[in-house]
Amino acid sequence: MTAVIETRSLSKWYGNILGLSDVTLEIEAGITGLLGPNGAGKSTFMKLLTGQMKPSIGRVMIQGQEIRNNYDLYMRIGFCPEQDAFYDEMTGWEFLTSLLKLYPISHEQAAAQAAKALNIVELWNDKDRLIRAYSRGMRQRLKFAQAIAHNPDIIILDEPLNGLDPLGKRKVIRLIKDYKSEGKTIIVSSHVLPEIEALTRTIILIHQGKILAQGDIHYIRDLIDTHPHIISVKCSDPRALAGRLVGEPYVVNIQFGPAAGTVLFETKNRDKFFGLLPRLIVENKLDVEEITSPDDNLQAVFDYLVGK
Amino acid sequence: MSQHTWRSLRSIFGFFFYAGRKARKTKVFFVIGILPVLMALIIKLNQTFFGGRTIEGMGVFSNIIMAFYLQFLILILALFYGSSVCLEEIEGKTLTYLTTRPVSKSAIVLGKYAAYVVFIMAMVLAGVIFSFLILNFEDLLDFSIWKVLAIDLGVLALGLISYTAFFTFLGTFFKRSILFGMVFAFGWENAVQYFPGATQRFTIVHYLKSLIPGGAVTTGGKFSFLLFRLEPSPPLTAVVTLLIVTAVFLGLACLLFSQKEYLFEE
Repeated sequence: MTAVIETRSLSKWYGNILGLSDVTLEIEAGITGLLGPNGAGKSTFMKLLTGQMKPSIGRVMIQGQEIRNNYDLYMRIGFCPEQDAFYDEMTGWEFLTSLLKLYPISHEQAAAQAAKALNIVELWNDKDRLIRAYSRGMRQRLKFAQAIAHNPDIIILDEPLNGLDPLGKRKVIRLIKDYKSEGKTIIVSSHVLPEIEALTRTIILIHQGKILAQGDIHYIRDLIDTHPHIISVKCSDPRALAGRLVGEPYVVNIQFGPAAGTVLFETKNRDKFFGLLPRLIVENKLDVEEITSPDDNLQAVFDYLVGK
Repeated sequence: MSQHTWRSLRSIFGFFFYAGRKARKTKVFFVIGILPVLMALIIKLNQTFFGGRTIEGMGVFSNIIMAFYLQFLILILALFYGSSVCLEEIEGKTLTYLTTRPVSKSAIVLGKYAAYVVFIMAMVLAGVIFSFLILNFEDLLDFSIWKVLAIDLGVLALGLISYTAFFTFLGTFFKRSILFGMVFAFGWENAVQYFPGATQRFTIVHYLKSLIPGGAVTTGGKFSFLLFRLEPSPPLTAVVTLLIVTAVFLGLACLLFSQKEYLFEE
């Protein structure tokens, strides 16, 4: 499959601060998740992809063309910004039609496309309400609508699920997946792994302006699995539990936690550990208050990848 | 001008002419803008129905133009609308919606500037015309006063065009452009225009006052002292200078806005 988006040695500095460093990658059609903690460089990367910023070094090619000031390409790209910002004194309808009129289309076409987009995001019935009266979820969907209203081939969404309730998230995820089935290229950023998991298997991991990994989500999962897991158990007799587990070959470290009754296990095989743990709890008649995995998250993967 | 640039300008103009009408500040300035009309109406009603002191309509009209419009309203309108051309997009974080569309950054500045100028011009000129009609109701067949009105309208229009261009530039350059604009409008412009000799030519108001009918001597209003020490430039020089000021500051605003990368503050 040919790459729709290509970046070569892409770097961006804000004065002395590094925003993005030496990013070379290719993105194909379908959904790609851009995953990284806040401040990782996701928004900078997206602003460079959409031509809003000029790279300090390197280049961005979309469908084989330079993006910056390329108005033909701008017509084929839809961008949903992260910030919750609008022309609040407009209604949803006015906002969409006004933005569509910035494209070389007739007023009738703008109205038709705005109506279609509002129907897709299920805001048609609220189209005549002022945007400032919209809920957070409605505003998020309106942002999505302005990104898709001109029927772009490439849709770039910066944290589109931010601040949404579970129902709102499900709606937006469904919308994004619908667009994938139309053969479009979609890039979605998030700092929450399960959100990206719900959308795609193709992930780019970004941290401190650098691309740490790119590929299938299983690869990211493997990174978690090859790194020792920390499992915290808070129970009535942590010493007895530790004593029963200390001889297991896959338990590499045991520490008693700062909180009373807490023991921290480091294991290389989480499945075997969790297979044994319930039996030991029953046999030792332990009262278990809490079992958690403090490092089973994205930050742990980043820490591992950056060698912390 | 290419077809793309022209289309971009038109679409941005349409966008902000529409958005400008709905803006909250427009409602505030509309109220301020109709104050002289209300004042003219009160003066006329007092004179007609309650036998108030007979006044010369053109005298009061000149006072309103000099003291309210020229020295206050056009400055305030140009300051708030001009500096907001770029600044409200950055502070409101809405710039992204425009810069990801097929329109150039220069078209954004020029289109929005044009929309706001047309908009505030309509607000100002309508107020002036209504005040004129109310105050000179009995003398409307005297064609000489219509000439004065036409020139006053032209002066105010030129003032709005040039001041708004200057404040548009200020808005692209400074974060606190309102503060700097206030200093310029009510500090520099108010003080330096009364300096003798060539120094007063470094103000925009000097060229506007140079175009006022009759100059300092025959305006007749109480506020003719505002033309104190005016050493008027020839009308053609004044018009050309104001147009050059407009073009230069708009050009600089476009250049700066196109080159600069604005970051939204969290």
